Amino acid sequence: MHSATAWTLARAAALCALAIGVLVPLSACTARHDADTLVIAMPTFAEDTFLPWTGGGQRKAYLDAIYDYLAIIDPETGEAGPGLAESWEMSDDGKTWTFYLRRGVQFQKGYGEVTSADVAFSIREIMAPAARAGPSSPLRRLIAGVETPAPHTVVVHLNQPDPELAIGYFANAQQVGIVSERYVTEAGRRKANAVPVGSGPFELEFHRPDSEIRLSVRADRENIWREPPQYERLIFHVVPEVSTRVAMLKTGEADIAPISFDDIGDLERTGLSIVSIPQSWSPVVRLGGLIQAGDRYEPANPWADVRVRQAMNLAIDKQAIIDRIFHGEGRIAASDTPVEAWAGLEPYAYDPVRARELIAEAGYPNGFPITLKTFATTPGAELPTVAQAVALYWQAAGIDVRIERIDWTSLRSAWTSGTARDYVWTHRGFPFTSAQNGLEAGFDARSVFASFSTPVLQDMLNDHAEELDKQARTEHLTAIGEYLRDQASNIFIAHINEPYGVSPRVGEWVFTSSNALNFETIRRPAPHGSDAP
Amino acid sequence: MTRLVINRIGEALISLLLMSVVVFFLARLTGDPVAVLLGDGATEADRIALVAELGLDRTLPEQYLIFLGNALQGDLGNSVTGHQGPALMMVLERLPYSLGLALAALVIAMGLGAPLGVAAAVHRGGPIDTLARAAALLGQSIPPFWLGLVLIYVFAVELRWLPTSGYGGIANVILPAFTMALFSLAAVVRLIRSSMIEQLTSEYVKLARAKGLPERDVVWGHAFRNGVFPVITFMGAFFATMITGAVVIETVFSWPGVGRLALDSIMRRDFPVMQAVVLVITTLYILANLIVDLLYAWLDPRIREGAR
Repeated sequence: MHSATAWTLARAAALCALAIGVLVPLSACTARHDADTLVIAMPTFAEDTFLPWTGGGQRKAYLDAIYDYLAIIDPETGEAGPGLAESWEMSDDGKTWTFYLRRGVQFQKGYGEVTSADVAFSIREIMAPAARAGPSSPLRRLIAGVETPAPHTVVVHLNQPDPELAIGYFANAQQVGIVSERYVTEAGRRKANAVPVGSGPFELEFHRPDSEIRLSVRADRENIWREPPQYERLIFHVVPEVSTRVAMLKTGEADIAPISFDDIGDLERTGLSIVSIPQSWSPVVRLGGLIQAGDRYEPANPWADVRVRQAMNLAIDKQAIIDRIFHGEGRIAASDTPVEAWAGLEPYAYDPVRARELIAEAGYPNGFPITLKTFATTPGAELPTVAQAVALYWQAAGIDVRIERIDWTSLRSAWTSGTARDYVWTHRGFPFTSAQNGLEAGFDARSVFASFSTPVLQDMLNDHAEELDKQARTEHLTAIGEYLRDQASNIFIAHINEPYGVSPRVGEWVFTSSNALNFETIRRPAPHGSDAP
Repeated sequence: MTRLVINRIGEALISLLLMSVVVFFLARLTGDPVAVLLGDGATEADRIALVAELGLDRTLPEQYLIFLGNALQGDLGNSVTGHQGPALMMVLERLPYSLGLALAALVIAMGLGAPLGVAAAVHRGGPIDTLARAAALLGQSIPPFWLGLVLIYVFAVELRWLPTSGYGGIANVILPAFTMALFSLAAVVRLIRSSMIEQLTSEYVKLARAKGLPERDVVWGHAFRNGVFPVITFMGAFFATMITGAVVIETVFSWPGVGRLALDSIMRRDFPVMQAVVLVITTLYILANLIVDLLYAWLDPRIREGAR
């Protein structure tokens, strides 16, 4: 053997030895987090910002531990209960709300007591033109002004009645977290957006953009007014790839992570538990050109005929989609958002024969071509697969489907600018704690995200918005739900339960909805032999 | 040498200007950020107001001139998302993570690839050569996404030697760096092998052997020094690619680098951040090429003389 070769090989062997010598001791470095820390692997931090008005609701996973809300929804009853506001009252006309704040609640880091001025400031900021929060636009239209007649009294004047304000925009499933006016003013918006100060039980300890958020129980623990947390630290990691999240659960690097439906069986076999968030989102097919207002209506589409839309619903075996794609984690839906008043709505049955008849009756005995656009998102990685299934069912009913992959942003752009008129697309619906908020977003012709609207529906929505009697509102809602179902306004497929893998370190976890996961309230597991829940 | 550097800097500025035009107009072909920023229940009036707020109601040439004027003053604009921080700072914050990973990958690729390539050339046709060529073929064929997941499964889930993902200590770098290195390692092996085969049959190597030099000096002191040129060119370009082209690896290993920032900014149509990413990366490409040119000049006196 050449001496050069021998030397080369010796060097390679030395490198290998070095690698093993490094790797094995490094295995000690992979030691998991300490017993007081809960690690949550998230697909995204979304905007990765900390002021409530600088981004969307996905950030609530970590913001809810830092900020408080005026009302907290009881996960059991679904009713709004006291939050920062101990009580509230609505005027007879439904246009003035008075909130009475809890006394003595302190902001973190010594920024003083939460007062009505802080609440008013937080509401005004989320309504400001530069705000980027989900509810910013409707709040701008809804709120006429905010008054602070006393340090613990906030009066909110509305432009129109909203009997669901407390359970809707001002509750913990929405985004009006209360910030310290003094802190934001003194620190400046940019710093406050990076280093938050709230009145919640946790404060920011460390943040690496798009990578890690570490929250620890606030230093002045005596000022926690909520149920004291059982874990001292919450660490959120951004882990975009679901296979990596699953690996983290298996190795114990993460305690909680959303997983794919296909991973449920694998994780259960390894001894980990699955917690499904009920009705956390809804796969749905939106039909373009169905806004009967302005230039967003396209009567030439075959699906402008209600019979065709009904046929498009009847043609799909939704239970098969739930069983095969979502592993049974869901139930057939007659709406894109779960509303209590709609719970009894009968969804379209699977009836391909009737579907073909209706298409023929509508004047399309040989079917018609249609473009179905689809995209994958989070949650919603399954949407392209759903699109394929829908396409196959429609093809069996005589509809010639062309599937087109697109990115969500491009589709959203076309939708909101009113140009998505001559095709249909997969989408996802989310739950709203206030049905009115959901209806305004999805079916009010003024909303750029409306997918279906008719003059009849608009009148129904207006009547519902102005009605203050609870029973009458429920009746209105039921009628709206039936109308949306009968009109086959969308292809409603299912309400899906999103699965989370959880480690044995997670005890009682009471979440409100997919919009309020309440990670900060997670309890430690009950000791063996304990009867505790 | 000075003239060489001045020439390269002049070319770099022209490249940057051209790139600013390309990225500015290409970005706008894909839509705008308005739809992403509009919240639930937004109205047409909200949309129009947002378009005006972002300056998207101006003509494209107007928008470009404003961008260029600000860029010349070092201001690449602020993110249009809720972050609203300076786009350039957002990129520079992420750059160390990408540079660290790319550097680790480079060290692995060169540290393993060079000896393997040389050994393959020295033993052309032998078992080491066959092994090296097979490894190179495999390295260039395996998709990084798949390889990354397999490595996580083996070293993190099964053996528990390394963490699955995330940024942290040295242990966190190993798997993503190796995944990133494998493709370039394979290329290094192939390039060095073919280059060394050529060098080892050249006249000056025969002369060195005839003079009785030890084989190790012949191979590493003479042939390798000339044989390494194509690899330097390759690695220069590849280093910059590793910084930006690592989206898949950064995603699999949850690495907070520039690649993911670039992807996120594209998905959100965050024009200022997209532009800042592209311009910073272009600058890195140019710098990498400049370093390669200077290395060439340092290694090859003919280039130094030619530039004089």
